[in-house]
Order: sequence, then structure tokens, then C-alpha cells
Amino acid sequence: MTNLTRTNRQKKTEQKFDYQEALRDVARSMVRLKRPDRLLKLITRFIDRQFGLHHTSLLVHEPSKNRYVFVNSKGARRVPAGLLKFDSDHPLIRWFALPRRKTPFQEDYLLLTDIKKTLNKAHFRLAADSRASELVKVQKTMEVLRVELVIPGYFKNDLVGILMLGGKFSGRFFTSSEILFFQTLAHDCSMAIKTAEYNQSLLEKNRELENRLQEIEKLRHKEQRTYYEIIRSLAEEVEAKEPTVFGHVSQVEKLGMMTARELGIDLSGQHKDILSAALMLHDVGKIGVPDHILMKPGSLTPEEWEVMKSHVEKGAKILEPLSDFRKVKEIILSHHERFDGTGYPRGLKGEDILIEARIVSVVDSFHAIVSNRCYREGRSIDFALQELEHCAGTQFDPQVVEAFIRVIRREIAKGRIDVTALQH
Amino acid sequence: MKKKLLLVDDEVEICEFLKSFFEDRDYQVATAHSGVQAVEQVESFRPDVVLLDIQMPEMDGLSALREIKEKYPRVKVIMVTAVETQDRIEAAMRLGADNYITKPLSLEYLEKDVQEKIESLAGI
Repeated sequence: MTNLTRTNRQKKTEQKFDYQEALRDVARSMVRLKRPDRLLKLITRFIDRQFGLHHTSLLVHEPSKNRYVFVNSKGARRVPAGLLKFDSDHPLIRWFALPRRKTPFQEDYLLLTDIKKTLNKAHFRLAADSRASELVKVQKTMEVLRVELVIPGYFKNDLVGILMLGGKFSGRFFTSSEILFFQTLAHDCSMAIKTAEYNQSLLEKNRELENRLQEIEKLRHKEQRTYYEIIRSLAEEVEAKEPTVFGHVSQVEKLGMMTARELGIDLSGQHKDILSAALMLHDVGKIGVPDHILMKPGSLTPEEWEVMKSHVEKGAKILEPLSDFRKVKEIILSHHERFDGTGYPRGLKGEDILIEARIVSVVDSFHAIVSNRCYREGRSIDFALQELEHCAGTQFDPQVVEAFIRVIRREIAKGRIDVTALQH
Repeated sequence: MKKKLLLVDDEVEICEFLKSFFEDRDYQVATAHSGVQAVEQVESFRPDVVLLDIQMPEMDGLSALREIKEKYPRVKVIMVTAVETQDRIEAAMRLGADNYITKPLSLEYLEKDVQEKIESLAGI
């Protein structure tokens, strides 16, 4: 067909039928319809109504089985949905599938009339014997199904679907603009199918991933919980070793939390759990200090004192596997640092020491002063508070000491602190 | 003599499509849409080959197969199954089915199979 006659024909048909408008309709439907099966049904019905054909069939690639199944069909010679398939080695599929070869007609379609003409050309038969025999098989398939025109639909290089059309009731030939229109339609369908497939598999993968993440998170949380419980019982173990400080941990925790609140520290969400855990577990490292040092009534030798001091590092080490409580570890490690930088283990100074650690330090010291210890009787609360004030700015953060004293005085005024209880 | 084929499927459309396909290929074709009809047709139409859908209302394919094979053991029966009825294939083969094919069908394979069954009959 020459370019001139093609253009003339195109003009003629465009007067009858507005392809642009029809394609815009299809595009709009594609956006609206998330499910491609409904779009394909719509398109099959549309072609059937609009073009007056003996039948219209749509085949869609089933990637899992690598076959092409008749999904929609209209007209007198329609193929019932799901009845027939072409396997991927079917001549018709091979003709259009990868590697995409140019058909002898330089176009991505097959017209039965063209095939007949081509097969009659001696030079084609001679030049490409195997191609000719393949084309004969394709022709046979088309004749069996009474198909006049086959339009493949590609997405990238994949053959996604095939449009098979019977002849017109009018007996007229398909025009080139009609074929072009069908090709655009087939292309749009392929895109819709692939996009839907892709979306579907993405959705499924996402869901799967989310589930797995949730499970992992749950497991991790459970594990951390278990570990936390173990550490807590370790902390209790430490207390049990020093029977005179029984109750220390819960007292320190209570007073520490109140001081933090008094200081206006953010205790939302995890912050609260972190401080609470740090207050309760700050001496857990003592589990690694030998009993004869821990429970020695007299004063410690310098060597023994070094072992005693190591409890902060030991505590931090025990806390290490708790990723949720990474900060707890840091607090425990720092709770014997001094505000003036002369504490241990790292000699941190002032605000370089975590505020939580500064709180633990004050509350822990207060408690140590008022509690009975194996080496001495506990002192009075007033004495302890005086001691804290005295050491504010050197050992302690003065602001923390101030807040702590306010808390203690208020609690005493409200009768919530039993002096003897503290002095166990 | 013309090759005689009985198509049994509760979906009329499927019968009609396959009927015209086989008539184009010079078969004499009858159709039935239930197991009961199928047995009646085997008696009156005397087909060489029956293409029998395994899942149908009113006596399913397996019961029809049993009756056909009891009364007319020479008739070749090809069962048509779908993915969801594949568990019944074994039962069908035990009842004497000569082959089975699964939907969606390949027309080429179907034609070849029916042809082979006819030829095997002629050979006896």
C-alpha cells in the first residue's frame, strides 16, 4: 500500500469514526478500572459493538504457566472464556513472541489476506522455507478460529496479550487506520495488564514484608523483655547479697522518677522506661563483684576498691544486648561520675554526664547515706540532705540536688516518706 | 462412514464452539449437557468418541462415565477436567476413561487425541 492511498483511506474512515475520541475513552477507563479483567471485557465489548465483526477475542498471557488463554470473546464465533489456550510453543505465539522479528509485512499484525498473498510469492517460499511453513501453521490456526486479523499487544518486549478479530459483517477489508487503532488498543491493554500484575505482586510483597517485619519486631521485643526480666532478677540478687539494703532499688526508682519530673525532663514514651530501668538496674554490675569485697564490713584495700568500682562497667556490659535500652547502659556506666570530673570510670564532667546519670548519682548517694550498711548505721534524712547540699557542684549537679531536696521535703510533708523505711 | 463424536458439557456455548470446530473437520457431532443426557445420547447416537466434562449437574461426569463404560465398553471416552477437578482424574482413569485433558484446551492437541482414539477403534 502506498503512503498516498493509506492517507486517503485514513481520512475517509476518520469521518465515520473518531479514533482519537475512542482511545481517550479507553484511557479514561484504564485509569478508573483497577482490575484489568474488567477493562479487557470492556474493550472486547467495545470492538464488537463498534466494528460489526463476526467475532472478537482477547488472549492474555498467564505468566505462571507460560501460556495464552482466551479470556474474552464476543460474537457468533466466540470462544467461551477459559476454554482454549495457546502454549508458548504454538506457531502463532512463536510468530509474535521474542525475539521480536519483523514480520514480512513490516508491521506487528497479521492479516489473513496478506498471509495468503505472501505465501503465494515464490521468492518468500524459497528464501525462508522454515518461516513459510510456520506461516502456514499460523494461517491454519486463523482459519480454524475464523480469524481475519491478529494484533499482538506488547509491554516492553513481552507479548502480553493478543487481539483476534473475525471478518466484518459487511465483508469489507480492515483499513490501515483501523489496524493502527487496534494496535494502540492492544498496547494500552498490555500496559494495563502489566501494571495491574506489577501492582498486585508489589502489594503482596509489601504485605509479606510487613508481616515478617512485625513478627521480627514482636520476637525481638519478646526477647528483650525476657532479657530485661533476667537482669531485674540479677539486680534483686545483688540486693539479696546485701540484706541491709533490701528495698533500695524500688526506693531509688521512686525518688529518681520524682526528681526527674521535678526537673521537667521529658518522660514520654520510652524515656520513662529508660530512666526507670536505669534507676533499678544501676548496681546490677555488682553481681560480678566477689562477695568478700561486696560484703566486707571494714574498709576496702585500694585493690578491692578497684574491683568494687568495676561494677559500673560490668553493669554496662550486662545491659549491652538490650538494644532498646542502649541509653540505660550509658546511664549505668556513668552513675559514679562526678559533676567536677573526678568520678569514674571516665572522668566525665558537668553536662557531659547524662542528666539521668546525674539523677541516679544523687538518689543513690542519698540512699547510701540514710541506709544501714554492713559497716555502719544509717544517718538521718536531714544529715543526708546536708551532705548532698555540701557536695552540690563538686560531686553532684546542684540543680539535681535542689530538685531532689524539694521532692524529699514535699514527700515528708505529705507523710509519704517513712524515715525508718528508708533506713532498713 | 463419518467419525462420530459426542460432546458433553453443561455449558452450551462450549458444546457449540467445539461442535462447529469438529464439524469443520468432517465429524458427525452430537451434544449433551448433563450426565443423564450423555448416557441417552450414547445409546441413540452411538458415537465413536465421547468428550466428557467431569463436572456437571444432574449426574456428573464420573457417574456418566461408569454407565457408558458398563454398557458400551468399546466407546472411547476422553474426560475434560478443570484445575479444580484434577483430583478426580485418578477415579476417572480407574473407571476406564481412555484419556483426559485439562481446560484451557489446546485445539491442536484435542483434535489429535480424538483422531487417535478413532484410529485405535478402527485398528481393533
